[in-house]
Amino acid sequence: MRWRLCRPIREDNMEQYNQRYARHYSLKSFGVQGQQKLAAARVLVIGAGGLGCPVLQYLAAAGVGTIGIADPDTVSLSNLQRQVLFTTENIGRPKAEIAAARLKSLNPEISVIAISVAITTANALELIGDYDIIADCTDNFAARYMINDACVLLHKPLVFGAIFQYEGQVSVFNISNSFGEKVNYRNLFPSPPAPADVQDCSEAGVLGVLPGIIGTLQATEVIKIITGIGKVLAGRLLTFNLLNYNSFIFTIAANSNANHLIPATTADFEATDYEWLCGMKIDRIRELSANEFLAVLNNQDTVVIDVRESDELPKAGFDCIQLPLLHINEEVPDITEKNIILFCQGGKRSLKAAQLFSDKYKSHKNISHLKGGILTLNKQL
Amino acid sequence: MAVKVIAFGQLTEITGAEIFIEARDTDILKATLHKKFPHLAGMKYAIAVNNAIITENITLSNKDEVALMPPYSGG
Repeated sequence: MRWRLCRPIREDNMEQYNQRYARHYSLKSFGVQGQQKLAAARVLVIGAGGLGCPVLQYLAAAGVGTIGIADPDTVSLSNLQRQVLFTTENIGRPKAEIAAARLKSLNPEISVIAISVAITTANALELIGDYDIIADCTDNFAARYMINDACVLLHKPLVFGAIFQYEGQVSVFNISNSFGEKVNYRNLFPSPPAPADVQDCSEAGVLGVLPGIIGTLQATEVIKIITGIGKVLAGRLLTFNLLNYNSFIFTIAANSNANHLIPATTADFEATDYEWLCGMKIDRIRELSANEFLAVLNNQDTVVIDVRESDELPKAGFDCIQLPLLHINEEVPDITEKNIILFCQGGKRSLKAAQLFSDKYKSHKNISHLKGGILTLNKQL
Repeated sequence: MAVKVIAFGQLTEITGAEIFIEARDTDILKATLHKKFPHLAGMKYAIAVNNAIITENITLSNKDEVALMPPYSGG
């Protein structure tokens, strides 16, 4: 028999000894104390998909005392290639509930809460406020920006993970970095990209093991934050490429010019439409570049509408009618022309107006708007 | 002088994984890239110089490494 040096469990901690966590107790700088911190922690995992599955599995196995699982979706066949908590028999069943049952059987000593509703601005603050640490395992920008902003408002540590094909990103937001600064997702990417510019997993594909790796890194960061071991990725973005194992760690600067994009109050947050902000509702609306705009401006059966307030400058140097967004918001007017072209100062209000027209006329009219607004147009003239 | 530019994610489809671009500072680098790859101009991406994400124009020198990092949404 070979002798092994073991770190003895101190007598006053014996009552907390649990064979399940024996490998944690004997782990240097972790021990019973680390385990107690995990048991006391409350972690909310938003999204029980490719990233969420490994995060949930490892946090449950590690003994995180309370785990919330938020996901409104049901299991589908194409999930099973990477979402390893689910089985073929689970197809059609709610992910949050299936995942909760799996975690309970993995570790009956923890508390698992299934939240089968979508996180919206109406419930996000209440839900997130109930937990110590949030893991963003979602699959779209509207959810990511909403969760980021809510976590900034509530000062909650956010463990971020995102994937594309063979590459992943991991970071930790709202925890002080080595300079004592806190950064968030907006410091990295101030505003969301246009939906057309970014492909999600269903369009671009993803190798099944990638979320396994990135999700496991997220779980690692959660455990590090709770137990205080190691150096958390606070304000640093880790990237990982599965094909060549290239990995980078980028530092993120706490640039204050991005923070004004975050709703300042909880009321502002609740009034923010993240789906609209992320352009997720407007697939039907065509964006016109300055040149395209000029080319179609005088077409037949076409009306050009300025949706700015009447006193805004610069004035349009072409024929158009004036119809401020506020009025369109109250009632979308009847338009006889087949083609409706909208513009404003910077392109945001015209997009919103285009959405309102599109909701009214569906596919009966061709609705487009000037990307970047009249400011961009004038720059190019 | 030429700086090494590494692209990530979807941007590699536009620029290739690695290219060398002549540029004195990051503003000039961006303009040059957008001229060379018009598709890139409309894309959202963060720029890192020697592994630090930048938020304003920065002077570049030989051996600097610039990374173009787009946001990923997948989960």
